[in-house]
Amino acid sequence: MNNSQKNRLKNKKLRVNITENENHSHLKGRILIKLSRTEGASLQLAKIINKPTLPRNAQFFITLGFVALFIFSILFSLGNGQADISFTDIWQILLYKTTHGALGSIDTINQSVINIIWFVRTPRVLAAIFIGCGLAISGTVMQAVVQNPLADPYILGISSGASLGATFAIMVGFGTASIFSQISLSFSAFLGALLATFFVLLLSSFGGKMTSIKLVLSGTVINSIFGSISSLIVFLANNAEGMKTVTFWSMGSLASASWGKLPLLAIVTMLVSVFFSFQFRVLNTMLLGDEVAVTLGIPLATYRKLYMVIASLLTGLIVANSGMIGFVGLIIPHIVRGMYGSDHKKLLPMSGFVGALFLVWTDLLSRVLLPNTDLPIGILTAIIGAPIFIYIILKKEYRFGG
Amino acid sequence: MLEIQNLSVKLGKKDIIQQLSLSMETNQFIGIIGANGSGKSTLLKTIYKGLIPTTGKIVYNEMNLLHTPAKKIAQKLSVVGQFNELSFDFTVFQMVLLGRTPHKRLLETDSQEDYDIVEYALHEMGLTDYRNESFLSLSGGEKQRVILARALAQQPEFLILDEPTNHLDIRYQLELMESVKNLNIGILAALHDLDLAAAYCDYVYAMKNGEIIAAGTPEEIFTEALIEELYGIRCVVYRNPITEHLAFHYYI
Repeated sequence: MNNSQKNRLKNKKLRVNITENENHSHLKGRILIKLSRTEGASLQLAKIINKPTLPRNAQFFITLGFVALFIFSILFSLGNGQADISFTDIWQILLYKTTHGALGSIDTINQSVINIIWFVRTPRVLAAIFIGCGLAISGTVMQAVVQNPLADPYILGISSGASLGATFAIMVGFGTASIFSQISLSFSAFLGALLATFFVLLLSSFGGKMTSIKLVLSGTVINSIFGSISSLIVFLANNAEGMKTVTFWSMGSLASASWGKLPLLAIVTMLVSVFFSFQFRVLNTMLLGDEVAVTLGIPLATYRKLYMVIASLLTGLIVANSGMIGFVGLIIPHIVRGMYGSDHKKLLPMSGFVGALFLVWTDLLSRVLLPNTDLPIGILTAIIGAPIFIYIILKKEYRFGG
Repeated sequence: MLEIQNLSVKLGKKDIIQQLSLSMETNQFIGIIGANGSGKSTLLKTIYKGLIPTTGKIVYNEMNLLHTPAKKIAQKLSVVGQFNELSFDFTVFQMVLLGRTPHKRLLETDSQEDYDIVEYALHEMGLTDYRNESFLSLSGGEKQRVILARALAQQPEFLILDEPTNHLDIRYQLELMESVKNLNIGILAALHDLDLAAAYCDYVYAMKNGEIIAAGTPEEIFTEALIEELYGIRCVVYRNPITEHLAFHYYI
């Protein structure tokens, strides 16, 4: 080894030392204590990054699997139902319709098949995607807002409010003379949901700060009141046919999905999902409670109200579209938390995604389980969701996210 | 550095703190002692915006804390509070990483620098091996250390501690006080343990019924008469022959 080589080596060593020191220069500020002791150790440690519930690459493959499953599920769901349709036909129809005839050929396909795929099943599968996504996102946000693992999208009285609205529209109606006669069942349900949410927010803000306990209690109280008013209407109306309609509505269904209703649902769901996905920092600190959040610079009270109003609008719109679909907003966030941890940066988008996937499948099952009839989807979500939920709790020693 | 003037706080209809004034200088370690219910925690909460006072002024380095956004305060001041129960779980790493929140804009992602700071804070609290443990599965003392690590990750210039040695065994009590003292930043701590207060504080305020009834260096303030007035017990104050620190022997 000659001299110049030695010198270069020395220089290199020196440079390494300098960069090591620079790496730590930001730590030298306020909390610097015993730098020399920890220098080597913390340099190594800095390389190892955050490893949540599952190892990173396992999460990556699970995500990939979900995406593949998602695409397959959409096609599979389009192809199956009361009439089975081949994948090539579906492909041709979708291609033809989405490109306005520029691509794909539907000459050989029966017109009724085209109608089933394009006017019945496609809007229905899309509705399942947006509703599943919206319910799961709304549920995740509500659980953070009230810091309660039992919360779901309906916690602020939306379910009873929407039911009351629907019951009223079916049993009483709005008369024929006024402009209210135009108000449909779904719009009435939406109004009911908003009314209930308004009362819950009002009730929980009495007597000083709006705490999560007060919110949950107010939700319960308003649910009871609205529920009994609905029962009263049903009791007084004594209308067997109407009662059946109300019951059926309350079990939820995607059968009424149509291209006309989709744009509003799609736009609102996507806007709200994107909005909440960007709020991960606030949502994370929400889990720590008001007092700790303020020491991290986030006053929760303002955010809490804003989030609840936005999540409730989304849920109200969903309920107006599909009736009451329970359980999705409660269990999907827990299932995803079991896989991805509590960090909302991942939890929130993945909840929306898994919620969509889950509802596509339950909707498909609701179409094929019984011959010639649609099973209400709300029945299936609980029957399918509960075992998955129990499995997650038992297997992973699930502690709500850690 | 910190100046509190004529502070009064009510909880419901009850006066908890009345016309309290207090001041501390840069990088001092200030202790607040007093019996349960004397208003120590309420005072601390009011400083970090957990409560809103009825009257008074809190000024920190010419910044009126009552009119400053929480985020700006959190960049300078971190808090180790008493209650750290959660309904949802985080890993220890995520928990400490939350300490970076006040330094981040809403959409900003965590940088390598943030991860380094978190690793450093974990290391300081001896939590490196706990990085991926779930927070809720930890013991009370371990949780307390995680919370302190989170406070360190905030890179504060001022630290508020509300009975920080609760749940800690003797070794971690001393270690915590030692590492906090070595931070060389301003510290305001409510303390139960008078031995620790005497050993680590530069200046001590004694609170009773929401008022400060005595203040001074540990040497000046820790008298048998004061302790009897504060806690209603009798006590002998002596100098430990080995450590030379003040020591207390209590009896009824």
